[in-house]
Amino acid sequence: MSADALTAHPSIDELRAEALEWGRKPRRFGSWYVTEHWVRAMRAYGWTIIVGALGQPIIYLLGLGIGLAMLIDAPIDDRGVQVSYLVFVAPALLVTAAISVASEEMTYPVMAGFKWRRYFYGFNASALSSPQIANGVIAGAAARMVVAVAAYYVFIWIFGAVPHPETGWLSIFAGVAAGLAFGIPLMAYAGSIEDDRGQFALVQRFVFMPMFLFSGTFYPLDTLPAWLQWIGWISPLWHGAELGRVATYGAPVAPGMIAVHIGYLVVLCVAGYVWGRRVFVERLAK
Amino acid sequence: MTVVHSDAGTDAARRGGVRALWAGNPGAVVQRGLIAARSSSWIVVLSGFFEPVFYLASMGIGLGALVGDVQTSQGVEVPYAAFIAPALLAVSAMNGAIYDSTWNVFFKLNYGKLYEGMLSTSLGPLDVALGEILYALLRGLLYATGFMIIMQILGLNLAPTAILAIPAVLLIAFGFASLGMAVTSYMKTFQHMDWINFVLLPMFLFSATFYPITVYPEAVQAIVMAFPLWHGVELIRGLTTGILSSDMLWHVLYYVVMIAIGLVFTTKRLRALFLD
Repeated sequence: MSADALTAHPSIDELRAEALEWGRKPRRFGSWYVTEHWVRAMRAYGWTIIVGALGQPIIYLLGLGIGLAMLIDAPIDDRGVQVSYLVFVAPALLVTAAISVASEEMTYPVMAGFKWRRYFYGFNASALSSPQIANGVIAGAAARMVVAVAAYYVFIWIFGAVPHPETGWLSIFAGVAAGLAFGIPLMAYAGSIEDDRGQFALVQRFVFMPMFLFSGTFYPLDTLPAWLQWIGWISPLWHGAELGRVATYGAPVAPGMIAVHIGYLVVLCVAGYVWGRRVFVERLAK
Repeated sequence: MTVVHSDAGTDAARRGGVRALWAGNPGAVVQRGLIAARSSSWIVVLSGFFEPVFYLASMGIGLGALVGDVQTSQGVEVPYAAFIAPALLAVSAMNGAIYDSTWNVFFKLNYGKLYEGMLSTSLGPLDVALGEILYALLRGLLYATGFMIIMQILGLNLAPTAILAIPAVLLIAFGFASLGMAVTSYMKTFQHMDWINFVLLPMFLFSATFYPITVYPEAVQAIVMAFPLWHGVELIRGLTTGILSSDMLWHVLYYVVMIAIGLVFTTKRLRALFLD
């Protein structure tokens, strides 16, 4: 039979070579395959993302930046630089947008991948490795952060909250960096949860909320009493917002402190990544 | 058959036009909620109390230093913390009620299939609706009482009428819970639930919560006044600052109407989903 002859033709070595060949691309680009999945999965709630990315900045800027600014007549004195209230809060709100994307994308979806819908096990059964799955989650979430933060930047620029547009766009990077510095450790934590007992609700209330409220978002951090300022020091939101303020209105932050802000965000990302990678490798090997 | 109907209490409650909807026992639903909270989610339930407290601390301390005194809608100057504290109380009543009547109910409706079980007993849809709402109100009562104690300690209750803020919080929570549950019955996926946040966030920021409504032009003021949260904020602010006026009765009436509409609506929806 000619069909038999055809199927019998390749030797075992050739078959192995062919199988390895088919696996080569996924092995090499596996992280991007997972990223693609993550981004495509967002289409299920695409409108939520779009309306959130466009609506939230408008609401916050109108509500806080303009409404509250009516009460605060005097300009904000940020270490000697006088800026309007809107200019002061805008970079912090931008960073908050990235962090809230992180808290959405790197909590329940990660838990779903391990526990409820178990798609990580599916990925892992293919040529993709466990660290690549972690990479893909991070890159997918980062992609949404870029969209949210860039939209935010456009809005604060339109609202007139960027006195220095020539450097202002750098605040987009500050936002994404802060989002990842918060999100990557959160992803590692989410991956390590075996039983859902409302941990994410507690993270929201006892980590995200205090960080949002006590990180010098709405007023300079040194307005707070000293015993509350540490919340700002350890929160990626404050470090990101400080970098954003340097970019958008040239807040007088010492070069040494700029290095500290960047360094702290990088340390959080790296430490979170090391932890998250281990969690993914161990849990997927179970 | 006579044996079955010998329970006089049930029999009396079942009389009249709503007998198909109502067994007179929403307490069973409340009890179930309490038992469920004890076994699993109590720490999450308890944590809800901290949200308005964090807001009060952050805004009261930090912004208070920038803002100073603020004029209420009655034209009286009060410290900034005393201005926002009653608003945060109203917001937490809204959030608590909405959380309970939307996320919780959505899960029970679509995933837990809890109501199908309940409705296959003698309970009717009105029992279930009222029971869930009463459970939400219990949580609201807990949060409100805790927050009022904190306001008292910080000296933010400026008048004895502040004590009336607790029943006012329950009224507000009742309004949001009954309407929220009706809306939830239309939702089919988790993504739909996000739209609720899109309604709540602007209401939270624009309802004279952080600054007086007078910063807006007249047209915007009229829109804000149409939304329920503003009425709640004004009502509670009037009570805790002790600046009373007859307008407050309109705020109460707003919520009474909202509760009535919400209850009729929810009962009809539950009936349509499960009994027809």
